[in-house]
Amino acid sequence: MRKLGLAFALVAGVAVSGCVQSRQYADVQFTPPQGDYRLLIMRPDVVVNSLTTGGMSEPRADWTEQARGNIIKSLGNEQSGRGGKVLVLARRNELPNVSAEEIADLERLHYAVGNSIALHKYSGASLPTKHGKGLEYTLGEDAVSLGRRTGYDYALFLYAQDNIASSGRTALQVLGVAGCIIGFCAPSGGSNQFAYASLVDLRTGEVVWFNVLQTGSQLPGVKFGDIRTQPGADQMVERLLGRMKAGKEVRKAAEKR
Amino acid sequence: MCTRCSRLNRRSLLVGGGALAASMTTGIAQARVRPADMVPLIGPGFRPTDTDEKGLWQQMDRVEEEVSGSNLLIKDPELVAYLQNIIGTVGGPAARDMRIYLAHIPDFNAVMFPTGFAVVFSGLLLRMRNEAQLAGVIAHESGHFLRRHMIRSWRDTKRKSDLFAIGAMAAGVVGAGAGVYMGDYVQLAQLGTILSLFAYSRAMEAEADAMGARLIAESGYPPIEMANVWEQLIGEEEASARYRRKRRRRGTLFDTHPSPTSRMQDLRITASEVTVPGRAYDNGRSRYLSKIAPVRQMLLDDQVKLNDPGASQYLLNTLALDGWNGLLRYYEGEVWRLRNRAGDDTRAAQSYAVAVAYPDAPPEAWRWHGLSLIKEGRAPEGKAALGRYLQMEPGAPDAPFIRQMVG
Repeated sequence: MRKLGLAFALVAGVAVSGCVQSRQYADVQFTPPQGDYRLLIMRPDVVVNSLTTGGMSEPRADWTEQARGNIIKSLGNEQSGRGGKVLVLARRNELPNVSAEEIADLERLHYAVGNSIALHKYSGASLPTKHGKGLEYTLGEDAVSLGRRTGYDYALFLYAQDNIASSGRTALQVLGVAGCIIGFCAPSGGSNQFAYASLVDLRTGEVVWFNVLQTGSQLPGVKFGDIRTQPGADQMVERLLGRMKAGKEVRKAAEKR
Repeated sequence: MCTRCSRLNRRSLLVGGGALAASMTTGIAQARVRPADMVPLIGPGFRPTDTDEKGLWQQMDRVEEEVSGSNLLIKDPELVAYLQNIIGTVGGPAARDMRIYLAHIPDFNAVMFPTGFAVVFSGLLLRMRNEAQLAGVIAHESGHFLRRHMIRSWRDTKRKSDLFAIGAMAAGVVGAGAGVYMGDYVQLAQLGTILSLFAYSRAMEAEADAMGARLIAESGYPPIEMANVWEQLIGEEEASARYRRKRRRRGTLFDTHPSPTSRMQDLRITASEVTVPGRAYDNGRSRYLSKIAPVRQMLLDDQVKLNDPGASQYLLNTLALDGWNGLLRYYEGEVWRLRNRAGDDTRAAQSYAVAVAYPDAPPEAWRWHGLSLIKEGRAPEGKAALGRYLQMEPGAPDAPFIRQMVG
């Protein structure tokens, strides 16, 4: 009987372990862009994988293409809703006066800085020197120069990944949870998403806002949106960018008033 | 799918009692693949049609975009065209489809990506003694593409991980029903799965070796040169290990590649199989040397700065089997000078002195020859040598300093 009780406790645990998580950091002085601003969205890096029975992520070209298109559309809608003028780059050589190499260099630089943010803000290796300072990272002069030459105020970098459980994987999940009844609980991960967005102020070069989104559940069949569909992509973009909070000092000042 | 990859962390893979089981399994010998069996699996202009392969290609196109724009690449158009020409010769049916990039990394390696682009490390160009050896490595990489190794090993991994997941789940459910703990067996099965993946990877490498030997032989290069490449590598690794008072790494169950020794032995047999008696083979040594001449000093410079005197010394001696020259003698001196043990300054001075006797001695050889002479107390001769250095390299960064010394 005790065994059975434990099994139920585990099932309950599994049920709550599936969730949508996002955590954002902002520069202490950050105010979410509103009104008349110009935003450049760097080529969104999107991949949709099929999750195999054994748990490997197999990239799917057709799904990825579809999702990329959806995400680009959602981004355009979301941002124009805020009043900004938006350009989503589909290729690196689209901007006048800016070479593809410069865009590539900036993307690589951001990749390194973004990794650093992920490591020190999200993976627990926090830096004592950056403690309580919000987001204190910069892409430096290269970003400022891009802003100066193109007239854009902000650049947004975005990565989105959706892993969709194959039927084999779902069956394995069902079996893992069903096993709880006889005392063998082996819940395994199913469909899940991972995405991050990073906003760079092109007037200062600073990364002013960063958000990471994770969704997933160990319960078979539970999904938190599917970016292969337009509503799913809208939902992801909304979760990622919709609730942009102002920086610490800006919020404090607002409270005083 | 590289010539020589970093190995996975063994410790992270060793689980529980599995270590014992691993030590009991048989050795890691990889049966030799017969070159006659190695027929290309793709034709010219291959494009993927299966879903999994299409997904892989899409990802790899992004990788190629990054690689082709990397600032690590050596973009010397003549050198790159030369490499492209070699892959166009030994690439079999896909010769026209493959791309090649040269990365400035002082290490012995080359990598083929699933979509047919290869990256050759600059350290490879330093180590090859002739065009046939270089063509052998490139043909090996082409072999991976022609035999569709990446998608095959992906499918192998997928199949085995699926089977393992199902098996582990079934064992757990059955075990729980019967009241038996199956965890140990599951871990053992996991180790078995991992080991079989490594074995599959080694089998692919053996295939690529056989395919490569066949390709270069058909293009008129002596196939035995592929075995010689491994002989040189073993020598280098031994020299490097000896210097550090270590032993050369032997093969283990966790290797993605067969050991250099077994590859060399297999390639010797393979070479004899694909060599046609009476046919003339050309190793293209003089063409190779003239093509890499513009970068050879850079390659040597990268090598001696790796702080691996054992390997550097071995490499210089190997390259010198085709004749010493000023460049090689100068870098021999550099190895001694940078090692800096007791008596190394004298050895270095001797090398510099010999180097400057060759017409192709680089300006830096005169510089160090001069400085060594001054150190020995032979100031007038030293100053004369430094004068020669300034004459050859008037714009050198240290020219004002040297000018002051010469007085």
